[in-house]
Amino acid sequence: MSNNKKYWTSVEELKGNSIVEKLSKQEFPKEIPTDAFLGDKETLASSSTSRRDFLKYVGFTTAAASLAACEGPVIKTIPYVVKPNDIIPGVADYYATSIADGFDFASVLVKVREGRPIKIGPNLEAKTNNQTNARVQASVLSLYDNNRLKKSSKDYATFDKEVKATFDKIKNSDKKIVFLTGTMASPSTDKLLTEFTTQYPNTEHVIYDAVSETAALDAFQEMYGSRVLPNYNFAKANVIVSIGADFLGDWQGGGFESGYAKNKAPKNGKMSKHIQFESNLTLTGANADQRFALKPSKQIFALINLYNKVTGQSLPSRATSQDKAIKNAATQIKSVGSKAVVVTGIQNKNAQLIVLALNNFLQSEALDVVNTKNVRQGDDTKVAQLIADMKAGKVGAIITHQTNPAYTLNDFTNAVKKVPLNIAFSISSTETTKLAKYVNATPHYLESWGDVNMQKGQYNLIQPTINKLFDTRQFQEALLSWTENTSTYYNYLKNSWTSILNGQSWNNVLHNGTFNINQIEAEEITTVNNIDLNAVAFALARNKSNKLELALYTKVGLGDGQQANNPWLQELPDPITRTSWDNYLLISRVDAEKLELKNWIVDNGAMNGSLVDVSVGGKTLKNVPVYIQPGQAVGSVGLAYGYGRIEGMQEEMQTGVNAYLFVNTTGNVNITKVEGEHKFACVQTHHTMMGRDELVNETSLSDFINKPKKEWNKEPKFSIDHQEVSIDQAALWETFDDSIGTKFNLAIDLATCTACASCVIACHAENNVPVVGKQEIRLSRDMHWLRIDRYYTSDMTNKKGKEEGIFGSGKFFNAQELPQDQPEVSFQPVMCMHCNNAPCESVCPVAATSHGRQGQNQMAYNRCVGTRYCANNCPYRVRRFNWFKYSENSAFNFNMNNDLGRMVLNPDVVVRSRGVMEKCSMCIQMTQETILQAKKEGRPVKTDEFSVACVDACSTGAMTFGDVNNPEDKITKIVKDKRTFKLLEFIGTKPNVVYQLKVRNS
Amino acid sequence: MSHYEAPIRNPLILGNKSYHDVSNDIARPIESKANKMWWIVFTISLIAFLWGIGAIAYTIGTGIGVWGLNNKINWAWDITNFVWWVGIGHAGTLISAVLLLFRQKWRMGINRSAEAMTIFAVFQAGLFPLIHMGRIWNGYWVMPIPNQLGTLWTNFNSPLLWDVFAISTYLSVSLVFWWTGLLPDFAMIRDRATKPFQKKIYSLLSFGWSGRAKDWQRFEEVSLVLAGLATPLVLSVHTIVSFDFATSVIPGWHSTVYPPYFVAGAVFSGFAMVLTLLIIMRKVSNLEAYITRDHIENMSKVILVTCWIVATAYLSEFFVGWYSGSSYEDFVYLSIGAASGPYWWAFWALLICNGMIPQLLWFKKIRRSFIWTFIIALFINIGMWFERFDIIVINLSRGHLPATWTRFEPTFVDIGIFIGTIGFFFVLFLLYARTFPVVAQAEIKSILKSSGDNHKRNTEKLSNLVKEKREASKD
Repeated sequence: MSNNKKYWTSVEELKGNSIVEKLSKQEFPKEIPTDAFLGDKETLASSSTSRRDFLKYVGFTTAAASLAACEGPVIKTIPYVVKPNDIIPGVADYYATSIADGFDFASVLVKVREGRPIKIGPNLEAKTNNQTNARVQASVLSLYDNNRLKKSSKDYATFDKEVKATFDKIKNSDKKIVFLTGTMASPSTDKLLTEFTTQYPNTEHVIYDAVSETAALDAFQEMYGSRVLPNYNFAKANVIVSIGADFLGDWQGGGFESGYAKNKAPKNGKMSKHIQFESNLTLTGANADQRFALKPSKQIFALINLYNKVTGQSLPSRATSQDKAIKNAATQIKSVGSKAVVVTGIQNKNAQLIVLALNNFLQSEALDVVNTKNVRQGDDTKVAQLIADMKAGKVGAIITHQTNPAYTLNDFTNAVKKVPLNIAFSISSTETTKLAKYVNATPHYLESWGDVNMQKGQYNLIQPTINKLFDTRQFQEALLSWTENTSTYYNYLKNSWTSILNGQSWNNVLHNGTFNINQIEAEEITTVNNIDLNAVAFALARNKSNKLELALYTKVGLGDGQQANNPWLQELPDPITRTSWDNYLLISRVDAEKLELKNWIVDNGAMNGSLVDVSVGGKTLKNVPVYIQPGQAVGSVGLAYGYGRIEGMQEEMQTGVNAYLFVNTTGNVNITKVEGEHKFACVQTHHTMMGRDELVNETSLSDFINKPKKEWNKEPKFSIDHQEVSIDQAALWETFDDSIGTKFNLAIDLATCTACASCVIACHAENNVPVVGKQEIRLSRDMHWLRIDRYYTSDMTNKKGKEEGIFGSGKFFNAQELPQDQPEVSFQPVMCMHCNNAPCESVCPVAATSHGRQGQNQMAYNRCVGTRYCANNCPYRVRRFNWFKYSENSAFNFNMNNDLGRMVLNPDVVVRSRGVMEKCSMCIQMTQETILQAKKEGRPVKTDEFSVACVDACSTGAMTFGDVNNPEDKITKIVKDKRTFKLLEFIGTKPNVVYQLKVRNS
Repeated sequence: MSHYEAPIRNPLILGNKSYHDVSNDIARPIESKANKMWWIVFTISLIAFLWGIGAIAYTIGTGIGVWGLNNKINWAWDITNFVWWVGIGHAGTLISAVLLLFRQKWRMGINRSAEAMTIFAVFQAGLFPLIHMGRIWNGYWVMPIPNQLGTLWTNFNSPLLWDVFAISTYLSVSLVFWWTGLLPDFAMIRDRATKPFQKKIYSLLSFGWSGRAKDWQRFEEVSLVLAGLATPLVLSVHTIVSFDFATSVIPGWHSTVYPPYFVAGAVFSGFAMVLTLLIIMRKVSNLEAYITRDHIENMSKVILVTCWIVATAYLSEFFVGWYSGSSYEDFVYLSIGAASGPYWWAFWALLICNGMIPQLLWFKKIRRSFIWTFIIALFINIGMWFERFDIIVINLSRGHLPATWTRFEPTFVDIGIFIGTIGFFFVLFLLYARTFPVVAQAEIKSILKSSGDNHKRNTEKLSNLVKEKREASKD
């Protein structure tokens, strides 16, 4: 049908012969005199352009040309020519997968944007083993590590041809092929290895954990018959006694914090009681209701004494300095019976046997011998045998995977020289790959297929979330090739899962990332073998004490050191020492004074310390920095694993000393002070609350039950003209009605927060927080939006000061600054409080920081001129200034300085430029996404649907986020809870972040 | 302008000066060549200034991180220097405006240089709020400039914004006031000038001053009006500067005594700087006849008074903090916690330089001594710098949460910029001393007949003569 419609923009145009038409024809009022300018020779010759004019033109054009040459940087954005089906630009995909790197095991959910994994979160589909600690959270950055191996030492065809030829030679010799791996707990890999063994019968698989749990595994095997780790459900325990077990850290694979936290906040007047005996001040000890320092050798006797006191037996033992506390702990245990649990971290099979026997005696409900854990399988005896075999020339080939023995295992470097074929599988260049003849670059777990059986009955899948970034090959793919199997590993995995799935849908399980076989409890009835405890105790009691003993430990940041090249983890302040970029020798004040070792604060506020040479059993580590640790047992020193790696590490990350030197080394620790000083990157150099006890409010369980709230959770008073008024009346600012719409609050329960620092990394990842390096950290320029303040108690209380008559004097203040030798520890995560009366907002001259309708204190980066007045006026000191350009700046050569590392950046959050202030935004990009999602789906936001990165990462449920205008949201109840208080509320800032005070059951 | 003055008052102009002598004395530095000493001092100042420019360029090019600041102490030398220079800039207006209204004739010997010092000091001061910004290239956003972005506007709640207006108003009023006073003097130089270039320049600078009665009348009126305008500024500028701290919630900053205390402190430091400069200048520029011991003594008295206002503020700050019994007040810049903390030296530097040393001025001999007053003034300059350093750094280093307590150490850039501003200040002042009439000669001439040495001697002689005659007639 023809169209007779005529479109017009004005009446004149419609009528025709209009002025519009006339004008449109005269768009150029005069004809451009091109001819006059570029005319023929005669015109030019007769033109008035003089020599001077000509020079002017030349000058101008040259200047214009050179200006035009100053091209802006070219940033290529490559659009999808054909949009992949499963990617919608701007919309994140989530994949369930698992991390199983031999040290950390967790079922995780990976956020993928435009094909790039950018964030790790817990996989809530998995009922267990889904806690993401700091390292798991940070593992996404290790995917984009610029120092990764980008290809294998040879192309795979040649690689395999040569390797197989050697294997065949070995097959016909008396030598053996050895696979030395970390704990993989992978059923399909095990199957592959079995197939390999069928082909090459003289094959051995030795599992080696750098941080070993051999003692616990052996003890469990002896008592229950299988070489696995028992499981502990601390939620079922009312009394927890730990002797040297850092179970909130990496003890027996970790992951116990969520169960532990369930009983840490009083419910109906009841909560668990946790008594800890340990030498280093660990996270576990810091969270305990009662903590007693005991050096490692004495812990053994304490354990036997505890056993004796609880059971009434008299196994041979010796007295310790904490026997009174042991007796008290025994009474507590006896009072609850099966509701008690005892755990120990003593690396001695006999000690582990006693613990198992004791829990068995108690019929402890918390001890789970059915759903046992597979996350540590290393066998030190076999490893020792392997080293001996290697030295004896009995090993024809060694294949290492998921392990770095040249770094962690003392004799390996020497022994491996006797092995003709040395193949290393590794994600990055390591001490081990340096020694290897063939190096196979492996993909990161986010690029891999795989499976893992973390605990009995729970199977998890590992699926790639991104194409392989480099020319890498999985260990399993190599095995397939070596066993002449042409199937891909994906198909192999899928086939081998047929038996596990038992008819269930593969796609479903892949989607969920996890699969549980439910009927095990009925299936398995564990028999308990009888153990001659007398002999066990007798053997234990022969242990000698030393004057100074070493206790090695893992930090929440680096763990066993696999991810040492990860700047997020290097920069993560240890929750206890609040020091990053280092490991150090922890020593008690008493021992430090004896040895004249010091920590001191220099003029720029940074901490320096003495250096020592440490030697144990003939081995010496030189120039180890000393950190004087309150709570450290006198006569003991501590040193963290995971540091001191050099090979394959960026220069900035080559920090600390290698503590693996001292693994399985016993004997007295000799410390000699050496010249020089060490520069620490410590973000907190004042350790006590200086009598400001209201900061981290806490109370005892009896006060909490028996006394009215105003006695243990005082509210600040506001007054005008000596009349007590409400905070709103005292405020200078007009309030607006914030009861309509959404209003965000964030609650942090100090009772259940263990300070694991997983939230710190989660925030780092979600919000593109820059890494600034050691020197900047020293200058108190840490950029973490979320920090965890840590306070120790001091001997000098206000009361004591008044009694001594020095209250308010300089002497008093100086004494107040000193932590107790055995302090109680308080943690307090602090981020922007999003004050309703924000001091920062009123002082910004350009209104770059303003209040949001939903309660957030918002920071408009592009409006900020950088006067830093807001940061000065923030009583919480949560604002972070971009002192330099932290991205794309070679002075800060971390992940934001290379294209690969920048792939981890969250596209929803801007990378801040130099000279602007930044701080916690309450993950506004996440809350807005939730709102938009609801809007798109045409529904109201669901109850508890809002979340933020730190809350997502919190595995103890200590953090809660939500809309206080929704009466159904969890947060609404918490805000009104009687344990709730606000930090520095008396200033009148009216924070939108609230705390719930800690109750100590002491 | 001439008026009767009791003969027992000391003369304000020494020596047997005629009007022509005054003109000669004031014009001499301009008309003669600079001596070696001037060149040496100027070169040193210029080097310091250039160093400062380098340090500023480095800061702007690299980031504020080249200073010693951190995420807890976000201001230190920058704002210390800013407040210090603004404070120094206070004496000028006080001398020219307040003393004019109070008809204090002794101000005429010193007001020109005091005002010059004010303006040059405000230049230095104004530099710091600019360069302390993380993104100085967006610095104009602090001005309420209409834009296409609708509601994007400055935040009038912010004391920093108030500073912008306070400082710029102060600078413009001071400049106008100073220039008005300069007009007849420039005209005098112009009239004496022999070189055409000089004549041209000075006639431009003197805005065509003709010396008619109408000119003088307007001159006097404008002076008075400007004095009236400038007087509240003396109070307002430093009051507003003190609001930067007083309106905050930080212990040690959040203090209602700040406005009067800061104003007194500013006058205190301003007079100390005037003393420092003029004691040298009277010697170098041969102005002994115009800047006399009496001038020095008068200024010393002002210093002593303001010293006690400031000291009272210190004592009340210390007492109120202590009396509050609040732990948060225990570590503010005037507290036992500060005295026993890592900044004990800054605490004592403040008290000794500002509280104790100026007490020497109670002694007449000392306050009439050029060398003693010079030394004391130097100490006050140092002490007042420490006052601002203490207020900013000690208070920020001891915030609400002890976990955030830290310290500050300046870098070479911090120091470089400060020295640079001192250099810049002296470059300006030295150029001023060579090209501007450094004493308000027109005004001085107006009191030559009443306060001049020879006039006093003449009146004395006259009265003696009268007395003799009377006694003779009695006989």
